[in-house]
Amino acid sequence: MYPTPTNIWERIEFSSLGTTIAESTWMFPTLETLHVIALVSVLGTIFVVDLRMLGWTSNKFAVTAVAKDTLPWTWGAFVLAAITGGLLFISKASSYVGNPYFLWKMGMMALAGLNMMYFHFMTWRTVEHWDRDASMPVAVKVAAALSIVFWLAVVFFGRAIGFTLGIFGS
Amino acid sequence: MGDLLYHFTEWLRTTPLVELTLWLSDTSVSLWLQTHFWAIPILQCIHILSIASAFGSILMVSLRLFSLAGTERTMAETERRYIRWIWWSLVMLVVSGSLLVISEPIRDLINPVFWVKMVGVVLAILASLWFHGRVMRRLAAGGQAGPVIKTGAVLIIILWCLIMLGGRWIAYAPV
Repeated sequence: MYPTPTNIWERIEFSSLGTTIAESTWMFPTLETLHVIALVSVLGTIFVVDLRMLGWTSNKFAVTAVAKDTLPWTWGAFVLAAITGGLLFISKASSYVGNPYFLWKMGMMALAGLNMMYFHFMTWRTVEHWDRDASMPVAVKVAAALSIVFWLAVVFFGRAIGFTLGIFGS
Repeated sequence: MGDLLYHFTEWLRTTPLVELTLWLSDTSVSLWLQTHFWAIPILQCIHILSIASAFGSILMVSLRLFSLAGTERTMAETERRYIRWIWWSLVMLVVSGSLLVISEPIRDLINPVFWVKMVGVVLAILASLWFHGRVMRRLAAGGQAGPVIKTGAVLIIILWCLIMLGGRWIAYAPV
């Protein structure tokens, strides 16, 4: 029924999991719905911390307190987004890897991750010096601004994929 | 369910909505949005980001109600932090959503899932007016959140998830 896979992406796509999702009438839209609910939760909670780090909101409260309130939910939602995104990918793997916007989206997520890691392992070490300040050090503001920019780009490229899947490749 | 939605679509086709969609799709705004490839994706991004700030804010207020987050602030402080974001996000949602309807009137207005979603939106707005009005005034006055208020907070979150479900399935409804 399916042609013999010629590369790893086709092997993923023609796997029983991939074809089950692709052939189902309801699985792909349902996964997309869960992906949307997860990603708005990720963005909504990340921006709460980013805006605090920019010194625009919640300034009466410590950065560590704001982070503690939101990050468990951010991570929980991110795991759900990654699982649903992974399942969506499996069902159309070769179309996605041939789509430049998909690659840009992955690149932007990698940059968001690197930005977060640099912030966490470098800038965060001095957190007790600025935790309760209303105005943040430049390095903190830059990390927050980059986080917002990268995540906005992730949303844009993610949405662009849906409009261009038919244009690139098969 | 599929049958019910199909009959709903058939009925929508007999209403004056058909003429409205035809007129709307011929307006200059609609034509501009239709002929610029990135207009609709960008409007959808604005729509998604508005949901993110509305849903994120509602989530944080509800988590505070259940003492699951933000416990070093009072309920009133949490409400003050997020309430403007909730209402302004709703405004952005209505504006970007309306433009999306204008850009693809038939896809939305002759679509049973769209109208189910709109019922959800009206219910969510009414529930939010209750929650951020009466409930918050009572909590700010030192009242306790009883089972009705707590159930209401959970139902509002579920309602928003159903609205997002509707939003995604608009694209998959047979029109």
